[in-house]
Order: sequence, then C-alpha cells, then structure tokens
Amino acid sequence: MKRTLRKLFSNVTSLIGILLLLFFVVIAIFAPVIAPPLSDDPYNTPRMSWDINPQPPGFPMSDNIRFIYDTMGKKVKWNKAIFGTEGGGYDIFYALVWGTRTAFKIGIITVASSMLIGLFIGSISAYFGGWVDEVLMRITDIFLSFPFLVAAMVLTTILGKGLDKVMIALITFGWMGYARVIRGSILSAKEETYVMAAKALGIKDGRIIWRHLLPNTIFPVLVQGSMNIGSMVITAAALSFLGVGAPMGYADWGQMVSFARNWIIGAPGHAGQYWYTVFYPGIFIVLFVLAWNLIGDTLRDILDPRLRGEL
Amino acid sequence: MMAKKREKLLEVKGLKTYFFTENGVVKAVDGVDFDVYKGETLGLVGESGCGKSVTAFSIMRLLDYPGKTVGGRVVFEGENLLEKSEDGMRKIRGKDIAMIFQEPMTSLNPVFTIGYQISEALKIHLHMNDREAMAKSVELLKKVGIPIPEQRVHEYPHQLSGGMRQRAMIAMAMSCDPTLLIADEPTTALDVTIQAQILELMKALLQEFNASLIMITHDLGVIAEIANRVAVMYAGKIVEYSDINTIFHFPLHPYTFGLLTSIPRLDVELKRLDAIPGFVPDPLHFPKGCKFNPRCRFATDKCREEEPPLVKVEEGHLVRCWHVDRVKEEVKNGLLVGV
Amino acid sequence: MAKPILQVRHLVKYFPIKKGVFRKTVGWVRAVDDVSFDVYEGETLGLVGESGCGKTTTALTILRLEEPTRGQVIFDGKDITKLKRRDMRKMRKGMQIIFQDPYSSLDPRMKVKDIIAEGMLTHNMLNGRNVYKRVGELLERVGIPADYMNRFPHEFSGGQRQRVGIARALALEPKIIMCDEAVSALDVSIRSQIINLLKDLQNEFKFTYLFIAHDLSVIKYISDRVAVMYVGKIVELADKKVFFDDPLHPYTQALISAVPVPNPDYKKKRIVLQGDVPSPANPPKGCRFHPRCFMAMDICSKVEPELVEVKPGHFVACHFYDKKGGNS
Repeated sequence: MKRTLRKLFSNVTSLIGILLLLFFVVIAIFAPVIAPPLSDDPYNTPRMSWDINPQPPGFPMSDNIRFIYDTMGKKVKWNKAIFGTEGGGYDIFYALVWGTRTAFKIGIITVASSMLIGLFIGSISAYFGGWVDEVLMRITDIFLSFPFLVAAMVLTTILGKGLDKVMIALITFGWMGYARVIRGSILSAKEETYVMAAKALGIKDGRIIWRHLLPNTIFPVLVQGSMNIGSMVITAAALSFLGVGAPMGYADWGQMVSFARNWIIGAPGHAGQYWYTVFYPGIFIVLFVLAWNLIGDTLRDILDPRLRGEL
Repeated sequence: MMAKKREKLLEVKGLKTYFFTENGVVKAVDGVDFDVYKGETLGLVGESGCGKSVTAFSIMRLLDYPGKTVGGRVVFEGENLLEKSEDGMRKIRGKDIAMIFQEPMTSLNPVFTIGYQISEALKIHLHMNDREAMAKSVELLKKVGIPIPEQRVHEYPHQLSGGMRQRAMIAMAMSCDPTLLIADEPTTALDVTIQAQILELMKALLQEFNASLIMITHDLGVIAEIANRVAVMYAGKIVEYSDINTIFHFPLHPYTFGLLTSIPRLDVELKRLDAIPGFVPDPLHFPKGCKFNPRCRFATDKCREEEPPLVKVEEGHLVRCWHVDRVKEEVKNGLLVGV
Repeated sequence: MAKPILQVRHLVKYFPIKKGVFRKTVGWVRAVDDVSFDVYEGETLGLVGESGCGKTTTALTILRLEEPTRGQVIFDGKDITKLKRRDMRKMRKGMQIIFQDPYSSLDPRMKVKDIIAEGMLTHNMLNGRNVYKRVGELLERVGIPADYMNRFPHEFSGGQRQRVGIARALALEPKIIMCDEAVSALDVSIRSQIINLLKDLQNEFKFTYLFIAHDLSVIKYISDRVAVMYVGKIVELADKKVFFDDPLHPYTQALISAVPVPNPDYKKKRIVLQGDVPSPANPPKGCRFHPRCFMAMDICSKVEPELVEVKPGHFVACHFYDKKGGNS
C-alpha cells in the first residue's frame, strides 16, 4: 500500500515535471509567434521607453520609440509591456519568451558537451586502467580542485563577455562529475564476464566500450545530466548576475535578474515597488530548474535497478 | 533398518508457504508432509526453486514479507510451532532447533568476534555469564576441530577460511545442545576436500549430541553419505519419500529415477547421460496436473489433467505418481546405472 | 598419435599485491606457477582442482585474456604469447571459451541474435544479411528455437543462457574451446543436458576441449585425460582411466576419495585431509601439498618436486615417485 502510494506520488511529480518542460518547449518553439522580434537579432530585447526606471505591467510603448520602429519599417504588433519593463525600458515579457530559448541552449549544449567529454575520459580511463587511468584521473582531480563558480568566472573574464564564453567556461569545468561517475560504473561493469567474452571473441576495445560497456553504464550519467541542465542554467544566470555573462539587453533570464539588482529593494518608501523586475525572470528560472530535476528523479526511478527490482 | 520403536521429533503436516508478489501468488511450498525421528537424518533434495529452503525457513518461522505460511502444522515435541508466540519461538530458535546456512561469510556477523557470536546464544538461552560462555565457546570450537581455539575465539569471521567459518557456524548451532539441526546446503560453497571434512564432522557431532538433522541439498552424493531417509521435492511438493536405500536403488517417481540416471558419477562408467528434458518450471506458471508431466517420459493424458496424490506404495515409501507400476517395471531388478 | 593443438610451456601468471599510498608491490599471488601440458587435437583434457588453485587463470592466460607473466602458449604451431594485439584478435577465432555464470556472461542490453552474430561480423565471416540466418541455425543446433533470437538474455532460463553462450563460441568455428566451469552453476537436471550437448557438438565438429571443473564426477564423464592442479601447479596428469583407477599423487587420491557418490552402498576408504588449501600468495616451501600430505617425507618440505613422467603418459609431481622413477 505504502509502496503503491509512493509510486503514484512519483508519477504525479513526474507528470508535473513533464508538463512544465512541455510548457517551456512550447514557448521556445513558438517564440517568434508569441513575441515577434523587432530587430535582426531576436535576442535583442526591444525597449518600450528610454526611462531609466522600470515601468509597471501594462506600460505602453512610448511614442518616440514607436516612431523609430515605424520609420525602420518594422510592424509593431503589440504596444504594451504586459509584464512591465526593466530599467532602461527593456520589455520583460519579450525577454522571458526569448530567454527560454537561451535557457535551453545553455542547458543542453553545456550538459551535452561536458557529458561527452566526461564519457570519453571516464570510459577510457576505466577501461584501460594503469597509467592511462592515473594520468586522466589526476587531470580530473586538478580540474575538480578549482571552485566551480570562481573558475568559470575567471575563465569567462579571460575569454571576454558573452554567452558563448560562459558556455565554454561551464563545459571546461563541468565534465569531471560525469567522468567520475562513468569511470566508477565501467570499473564495475568491466568485471562482468560478458566483457571478457567480448574480448575472447576478438572484438576491438573501442567497440567493447561503445557496444557493451556504455549501454550498461550510461544511465546514471543521463540522470545526472538531466538534473544538471537546470543547475547549468542557474550557474549561467549567476555568472550573468556577477556581470560576466550575457550583455545588457540580451534575452537571458540571468541577465534580467542581474539587471534588476538595483531595483530589488524598490524606491525609498515603496518597498517592493519594482517586484516585477525580479519576480518574472526568477520564477521562470525556478520552474525551469524544477522541471529538469523532476524529470531527472523520474528517470532515476525508472532506471535504478534496485527500485525496478522492487515490487 | 531402524526396527526399534522410533520417537517422532518433528511432524510437518500440510505445510503451505506462499509468496504474495505483485506478479501473482508463488506457491513455494504447497502441502508438504514429513516426519523427523529422534537421532535420524532426513535429506531434503531438490533443484533450485523447488521449495526446500523455504520449507526450512517456514519451520523456523524466519520468513519475511512477502512470504507467508498459510496452512499446515509444524509439530515439534508436541507443540505446533506455527501457533506459538513470537517470544516462545525465539526461545526455541537457536536452542532446540538450530540452523546452519550455506554461506558462512554472510551468516556470521562481520563486526563481532567468533567467540562473541557463540557466547551470545549461550548467554540468552542457558543464562551463562561472560566468562562461562567464553570458556564454553572455546570448548565448542575445539570440538568442531578448529586449531588453537583459545586464539580463534577472539578473531573475526573474515580472518577464518571458508571451511573454518563453516566449522564456527556449526559450533554456534551446537552451542545450546539442540535436538534438531536444520542445515541448508552447508557444504555447497565449499571445496571437495573441505566438504569431506565438514560432512565427517557433522556425522560425528550428530552421534555425540544425539541430535536429528534435516539436510537440505541438491547433491545426491551428499544425501547418500549422510541421510537415513530422503524426501525428494519438485515444484513445491514432495514427490517421493522413502529410506535411503529404496530411493537410490528402487526409486519409483520418474523425477527421482531421472535424476539418478542423469547425473555423472564416480562409481560407474557412463556412455551417455540420460538427461531429463525441459527445464525447471517457473513457480508462477506451474503446469497443470502433475507438475513434472512436461518433462516426464511416462506422462499420459491423466498426468496432464490431474495432480496425483502422495500415496504409500509400501511401508515407509510414498510416491506422487499415477504410473508407479510402469516405473516399477523398469526398476524391478534395482536401478542399474551405466549398464 | 594425434598431434598437440595446444602446447603450454612453463606458463606463469603472478598478480601483484599492492599496498600503501604509493601502491607499492609488496608480494605476488602465484596464481599459475610454471604449468606445462599439451592438449591433443580432438580430445578433452579435464583440468580439475579446488577453488584458488589457478585452473581458471590458466585458461584465461592461455587465451591472453590475462597477459602471462612468463612462458609460452603454442597454438596450432604458433607462439601466441609473442603476438601483437591486432594479430591476437585474429587468433581468437580459433580458441573460444564458455564461462561459468550464464547470467553475467551475456550482455543484458543486447539481443541474443546480436550476441551470437557479433563475433562472426567482427571476423568478417558472413555479411549482414546472412549472419542472422546462421544465428538461427546455431540456436537450433544448441536446442533453442530460432525465432527466440530477438529476445534479450533475461527472458531465458539459466540453462538456455548457457546454450546461447555455447552458440556464441560455436559461431566462430573454433578449434579449441575452453569450458570454464561451464556446467557448475546449473541445476542438476539441466547440467546433464548441457554436458550431453557439449559432447554431441564435439562429435559433430571435432572440437578440442579444455574442460575446467571442480566436480570430479563431471570430469570423469567428459574427459579423455585429466590434470589436477594444486596451488598454481599441476601435480598429476594422466589418462582418465589411470587417473581414477590408479592415482599416484596423494592429493589426487584424497580428492577422489572425498567426492560424495550417490550410492549409499558405495564403500570406499576416505582420506580426509587436514587443514585448508594454502593461499597462492604465500605457498608452502618445497612441495606445496606437504603440510596436508599423509605421505610427506623430509625432502618434501625442502625441495619442490618436478612433474615427471613415471609411466608413459602419466605425469606426477611427487618425491615419492620421483625416487622410484629414478631407481627403476
């Protein structure tokens, strides 16, 4: 009974995760429809006014900006900032919608790349063992010894500002976990007799790793990866918040929160006056991370042989 | 063979133990009857999944969810163990009925010394104090042939070899002078020469303590060596039950017959093994009728429809088969293997 | 006389024991310590011994699944210990192995047809289209319906998995197959089926078997010649009949006498050995069996006996016969 309940509950949470993810996927796919871009680079958030202060939800586009767009020949399909604007008049709604694409890009590219590096290094290290293992694992240790956020920040600063630099930094310091997990799994899997059997058949080492070891060991890494997609987005946001991430006006949730830093407290005597500058991007980040975590949990429940073996 | 009036020590009647799994009810033990007399050794033989170990655990009431004994009686010295309270059962376990397991490494606790583990039972059941219990432990270890027992009592299980651990396990089982010993594949994990040592030791101890033994094994050789009577189990039921000579020379169940003619053996030269076809049935999908019928060369339509009862063929020889007469025809001159 | 297909010469396999922070080698496990024997074409050589005696390591080292520390393995006239990785991979086609555990020896995430086809594809024996037809034939040959080839290993019983393992070895049409405790993990009634299958296949394809087991009854049934190992060394090697009827080495005698026979009337003098099998990390000086031997002499604790041919085809490593052999 307890077990069944737990199972049901885990199904509900996984359902929430899937729905949330679906929500973000739809936004990302239909971004040009939901918020048609006004400039050549859709990640440039349009401005609704030149005002230095944020403007509340429902703020209409100022006439002189509309005039500029008109003379540029752009059709403005909406004229209100329904979620308000940030300081500088950047439209929050637009940035949220296009920021979803940025979030997916950051999450999936960084996780996929660091996972590939980790899988490669980890599996080679575990399969061949000996000095290969020693060398690769010591390199991994060196990378692990840097504090992640600081290291990523320093590297981004060296490489220069920009989202692509942030991603390079995140990949550079993000693969070690995968390498360690896959190495551990392969170390135990390679003791299985079927690996010995494959060697006895005369199968090449690369194929043994690819066809026999990875299919049997990759799932914990996939689980870890899916959970990390969320945290990678958070880290990218943190880097933006610290000022080394996306440039001002770029449609990126982290950049939005970072930009809202000055407005968090609100004006004197009006605490929380500019709540919308933090709230909307904040809630999007939280939900996005939650979605991936819930899906990661579900994946683990499905793939964990101990849970699967249970009744 | 044992003509004198024998005293019944344990009587198992209609024992049924089922496992309630998500995929269905597994009838691991489905109506098992046997007796154990004082001082004798009963062999319980069968292949994996036949229910022989579950029978032992049911007698000891050591089964956890999802296993449950749903019927039958286990009468030990006049008392039905299945009706006893958990407290009352605890007083019997380890004292009157002791158990020896297959893998001594996992059945001994790795964080306590051998001496501590033996004296624990002595302190609980015989109310000895620490010093008495330790002295008795040394004596027991000596009795089971462990060299330098004074030193060994202070050692941990991992410091002993497999054979020594099994000896320590036996010392533990014998510590409270039990009247019934249940050994679940006690020599299966051991090497041949060590197995020989352990079997010799068990024979000697049984005689000394005048204890009875239920020997659970898949090895017919071990049975031939140690048992007085044998119950052959297949798919949760006893299919043949008899004294040792009858089982090995005049088996009347096709399964017993098949096992004896199929195994390679040292005493005769075999041209070809008369293997039993098919595979051990899945306990979730036992065949209809006689559970052995898909693998049986004597099987007829009746076997496929109706399960035969365990019937007495002659005094002390029970067989669960519709075609005892036809099997009898084949073994009338005794089972001749390899000729 | 048949010619030897496999000649093992002074094969040695030591595993280092590493300790401490710097993983310094503090000792060696002498798993296989100077083992020599021949396997003749078409015969079954039984290799028997207790756990830890090095019989499995011997097989793995012959196949170079473990690299030998020293010694030669001459297969089909070629010393394979000198081969490069690449050439060794090609050589594997001729020598296959069947493992003990039918559960861990098949990749759980591969279909049975791919498990069997993999070797044939690797050695370019057949192309993609014909290979599955061949897989079907092989499955039928080992007693599994061909249409089961799309199933995964967990859908099979232990005996069936072992048949799949046999089909996988069979697929490469090897000359010699090592059976490493190939029937030990199986149920009694299934064991006989697999033994019969192995024998039938040998008759049909003229395989040579190196049959490794701890069960003397099985060894007696399947072998033509038998070798016994004790703590990394062969102590006796003889024709099956001689081996079981007239064993010379005291360990062999004790081993045979220790086997329980399923016959309550079978009377024999049992030699119960004292003590445990010594660890191969620290074998006794002199003859490795001497601390447990009931015939031990002074010399046994000092000098290690050589494996000598005391009668044609009957090799023993024991000082007792050493001397006799020298006298006569």
